[in-house]
Amino acid sequence: MPQAEAHQHAEARGDAPPMQVDVAQAMEWLGRAGRLIADIRLGADRLFEILFVAVDAPPHSAQQHSEGTALAVAQEDTAVRRHFDDLRALGRQLKESGALNGALKARGNSWGLHMPLVCPDGAIVAYAWSRQLACQAGASALDRTRLALKAFTDQKRRFFPHLDDEGLSHLHASEPGIAKNPRLPASNGDIKENTLSEIINNLENEAPNMKIFTYRRLEWSKRAASLASLMNDDFVDPSKEVNQQIMSKLRSGHETTAMDQIAILELLVPSIFRAIVSLHPAGSTDPDAVAFFSPTEGGTYLHTRGQSVHHVFKNLTVHADKALLYFVSVEPSKALSLLLRWVASYQTLFTKVCSKCRRLLLMDRSLALLLPPIQRPYHQTSSVGSDQDAYHIGCSSYDA
Amino acid sequence: MPPVKWLMHWHPNPGATLNSQILAEASGCAESLGGSKDGRWKTSIIFYRAMARDGASAGAGGAPPQQPPDVPRELLGVALHERPGLYFSILRSHRLVLQADAAFPQVMEKLQSYKARVTLNFEGFQYQLGDFCLRIGKCVPNNSETLRGIMMEVEYYPLSSIEKSRAVMEDFFDIWQETLAKKSLPGHFIHVESNFSEYGLSDHYSFQHTAVQYATCLQQLMAAVTVRG
Repeated sequence: MPQAEAHQHAEARGDAPPMQVDVAQAMEWLGRAGRLIADIRLGADRLFEILFVAVDAPPHSAQQHSEGTALAVAQEDTAVRRHFDDLRALGRQLKESGALNGALKARGNSWGLHMPLVCPDGAIVAYAWSRQLACQAGASALDRTRLALKAFTDQKRRFFPHLDDEGLSHLHASEPGIAKNPRLPASNGDIKENTLSEIINNLENEAPNMKIFTYRRLEWSKRAASLASLMNDDFVDPSKEVNQQIMSKLRSGHETTAMDQIAILELLVPSIFRAIVSLHPAGSTDPDAVAFFSPTEGGTYLHTRGQSVHHVFKNLTVHADKALLYFVSVEPSKALSLLLRWVASYQTLFTKVCSKCRRLLLMDRSLALLLPPIQRPYHQTSSVGSDQDAYHIGCSSYDA
Repeated sequence: MPPVKWLMHWHPNPGATLNSQILAEASGCAESLGGSKDGRWKTSIIFYRAMARDGASAGAGGAPPQQPPDVPRELLGVALHERPGLYFSILRSHRLVLQADAAFPQVMEKLQSYKARVTLNFEGFQYQLGDFCLRIGKCVPNNSETLRGIMMEVEYYPLSSIEKSRAVMEDFFDIWQETLAKKSLPGHFIHVESNFSEYGLSDHYSFQHTAVQYATCLQQLMAAVTVRG
């Protein structure tokens, strides 16, 4: 086989890659080699048996036996030697086919297999070799699987960024072959947000005009009631409201309050709106209700099932309920993050004109109310929170 | 915390007169915008004139008593309809506005430092238009039926920040003007910007802001009124 010879010459130079091996042919030869080895063993056993019989024979039959023994031994010896010759020929064939070249032999141990089974004439014992071949096939299958997994997780991270892939990164860490994947940004530029703190901190950076305060359920009830007395005071000091917010922020700082008890988020854009979001269960990142109020409202009715006294916020809350329902059903693990960003976009509620009619106030015929554009789209979750359109109730093209 | 309010007053076309027809038409417009009448309102403004100080001679036939130059010649008192228990006094010359108790006029009466000369009443009906409240009223001197002016208050309940509500209020004003223009009336409403910061007032709307707006409006409104001194 000129190819094999050329390859072996190249191998002698030490720079040739492992040759392509006809694995099926090699496996057949190795199987044959295995049978030959078994035959040789049997032959050896028979020789031993003959000798034992000869030793144990009674003394008077020695000469008879010794002639028979010698014959039997000679016969057996011939058979075994023939087996050996066949085996050697097989070994040569295997070597020439490249199945036994040095590079592969050297790699044999890299799979953690111990391979002392090398015969004096250089032939490798069939069992270990077939295991090596099988391992090699297995190894390439493992490589292919690794590559497939990497491709899959990359795609998953890109198109489904909200799915938790902590389990997968654990898998990756245990494989030395693939470097640990860096946290890739999703297509809309968000980084992974798993905990309530992370979501809030990210939002505070993205929407600095919106203040976020966290409360346990009872804490919020007290705060809502205190707002009532603050707002009804005739001698109102506007700086008092700011101080109150600072105090409540100090009390319920995101880093210090046990986040696992947070049930209410207050989203305040000063002088524009106050939105309340409730989480259920407490401490989770699952929003269960939202309501909008004027920043001048106060009282125990200020909760996520309550209703503002103002038409603009009353209608906005109705729309927000639909948005929340959509986020929760379509992207449940990212619902809170989407909702908060969507809420933050309403800081331009009283200044952004309708994208359809280009007006700010419009008389809604069915409600008989003058309202600003209170509907902002929520179906395109990838663009939620960015500077998107706003519509009057009658101007939006879909029943949002 | 009171909601933001804009004051507008009627500016008649040159040569045109004020009449109650304008008032009726304006009320009609409020109703056409979906407004529902829900009560009356009345805000009063009292003009105080400074009284002569010591040293004025009554008989010698000399020059009229002179006031020291920095003493304000007039003081405005404002009794707002939304807070009967409060009384606001304004020194326009010094850009001062004070919130006081409704007993303030009695104190002034006793002090005799400034005497109430004219009282103007702004009164009419109020209309609820969703989140807006419109008050359209006539301006008549106390104890008289002479129409001195027509005024409007526009309140937007959800907001208290003057800056943040500006776009909404301007838009409402445009809508109002459009609606009224169909009536072809001899004049139009004007919103006069008050310089709140001069009075030390912040962006958060308050009753003081309303008092100052009335004071600003008056300068235009009462150009024709002679104050007997």
